[in-house]
Amino acid sequence: MIPETMQLLPPAVIVLGGIGFAMGAMLVWAAKQFYVETNPLVDALLELMPGANCGACGFAGCAECAEHIVAGDVAPDVCTSCDAETFAMIGELLGMEIAAKEPQYPVVLCQGGVNCKDRYDYIGAQTCKAAILLAGTKKACAYGCIGLGDCVRACQFDAIEIAENGLPKIKKYNCKGCGSCVRACPQQVLTLAKEHGPVYVVCSSHDKGKYVKEVCEFGCIGCGICKKNCPEGAIKLDKALAVIDQERCTRCGTCVEVCPRNAIVKL
Amino acid sequence: MIETPGYLPTEALFPIVVDAMFTKNFLLVMFLGLCSYVGLTTSSETSKGMSMAVTFVMTMSAILTWPIFYYLLKPNKLMFLQTICFILVIASFVQLVEFIIHRYSPALYRSLGIYLPLISTNCAVLGVVLLNVKEDFTYGASIVYAFSAGLGYSWVMLATAAIREKLIMRGVDRFSGFIGAFFAAMMMALIVVSYFGVVKL
Amino acid sequence: MAEKSFVGEIVRGIIKDNPVFVLVLGLCPTLAVTTSFANGLGMSLAFAFVLLGSNFFVSLIRKSIPSGVRIPIFLLIICTFVTMVDMLLEAYLPPMYEALGIFVPLIVVNCIVIGRAEAYANRNSVIFSIADAIGISIGYLLVLLLIGSIRELFGTGKIQFVMLMAKGGVPGFYPIGEVSIPIEPATVMITPAGAFFTIATLMLLIKIIGDRKRMMQLKKEGVEL
Repeated sequence: MIPETMQLLPPAVIVLGGIGFAMGAMLVWAAKQFYVETNPLVDALLELMPGANCGACGFAGCAECAEHIVAGDVAPDVCTSCDAETFAMIGELLGMEIAAKEPQYPVVLCQGGVNCKDRYDYIGAQTCKAAILLAGTKKACAYGCIGLGDCVRACQFDAIEIAENGLPKIKKYNCKGCGSCVRACPQQVLTLAKEHGPVYVVCSSHDKGKYVKEVCEFGCIGCGICKKNCPEGAIKLDKALAVIDQERCTRCGTCVEVCPRNAIVKL
Repeated sequence: MIETPGYLPTEALFPIVVDAMFTKNFLLVMFLGLCSYVGLTTSSETSKGMSMAVTFVMTMSAILTWPIFYYLLKPNKLMFLQTICFILVIASFVQLVEFIIHRYSPALYRSLGIYLPLISTNCAVLGVVLLNVKEDFTYGASIVYAFSAGLGYSWVMLATAAIREKLIMRGVDRFSGFIGAFFAAMMMALIVVSYFGVVKL
Repeated sequence: MAEKSFVGEIVRGIIKDNPVFVLVLGLCPTLAVTTSFANGLGMSLAFAFVLLGSNFFVSLIRKSIPSGVRIPIFLLIICTFVTMVDMLLEAYLPPMYEALGIFVPLIVVNCIVIGRAEAYANRNSVIFSIADAIGISIGYLLVLLLIGSIRELFGTGKIQFVMLMAKGGVPGFYPIGEVSIPIEPATVMITPAGAFFTIATLMLLIKIIGDRKRMMQLKKEGVEL
């Protein structure tokens, strides 16, 4: 070995070894000093949960929700993204019986989309929120779906897309009923509903009947035929828009048949 | 007698700052720190977090590594150990900061803490430290240089995040991914380089 | 699990797992040193040295690395090879050392090297780790040469092909040929803006070709689009 190299060996070993040892010792001390107590149960629960941070449970993220579940503040079924299998595993972990709530899916209370006339050609930022800022919505109906996909972007499970008719289409096999799309819609035309049974008026327009007839093929014109024919009296007219009281509705479907505009749908 | 770089007049600090922020910008001109750049500029939230974390780590690394080089390595003619020593110090320091933040501020940990492990192997941080040594700065100058480099990194990150968010809003097409990021970076590099006259186009 | 083969792993490293265009890692040296064919060649050779050494050693001792400290240990191993190649370059190939500058020591934090150590060498046998290293190195070499040639061609009007050899006992990168095209050189290609432009255009081309291939394949399978 070259003598100059040999001369460098001891200082190199000492310096590098010294720094390495010092850093290692410091980290070992720090790991103990700054130890954060985490409940292993919370970590185990977090592993089982979907981890999407969708916010349906009302907490800021899955981590916070897990902490509250373990602390006993809320029941685990507040997480809508868990399926029956996951609930079974969580139930095993926490030692409790959990039944999944009946699944809910978003419903679009609008049949406009391409059926509704545009007021102008919109070439701005392609988000619904931005389109509303420009002199009212780009659609002739001020209450309807704009179709630029804020709901699609809000969904973390890839469960919603804008179909060819310009309206959101729900992919039920992916949807967890978390409600992110409902919250994201600036026109609030999305709402959560149980899968089968409920009857909804799929229109949100409060415009007068004459105007609605001009701009949209399927909009509710507020004619009141459904209200007259409802055996339970569960339908009210709210400013030229029919609204069904879900508590009193028996799902008989009479209104669906009598509506001249096909604006009522039974899911 | 331990030799360290000589006195640097305060006026000479201004070119150092401008160099670090613009003419020799770490992201656009020196090409350091690009992997985290393309990954994290898709939203302004992540860019903000990453920029703050990077500026902090760069400054602290300069503070810690300069004495190690000039008081430990150079007097013993162990300059070849600089890479490994700097990496050891930077990685350990980042790990220590992560412990402290996790313990004392869970909120800060949730927003910043996840970027810290990403930064310990970031070319930009090691680049700053190596350049400090190469340019033979004094202690004060190297700290100023590191901080300015962090600021330079930050402005490019934030500007690119703004551009990319608008590109994404147009819809998912070819330009909303890496390709858009690189075209945006190209335009910024053109501005920085030609405005400050580094290369005549 | 499909059978792995030595040659298969090499080919995978070049095409399916191409470090720059598929994994999108290690961008810093790719853009910085590709101002010419020669620099690209030098960088990829240094990179290959480090990657081969690191993959080999990490997979050799992978069974005895405690999981918590594996990143620092990888860094130590990689750093040894990087310091070696740094000193080799400084001693035997000074012009290339000057041209590559700080990017040689920066190979230690190159995402590709650490990434392969963590994702591959840590889990696979020595033989396959070496195959992986060879494949990735060849892939990286091809990318660097491609970008370097394009930038040099349009930036200075000609490409200077070089090769590592020893003329008269002195090792170096000696020119072995030249290609030139009669255009007005666009110096912007040598600048950082040119680097971003080149890589953005290449990625765009690859994306377009890839999309088209996928569409053709879906059409062949009769999938409704």
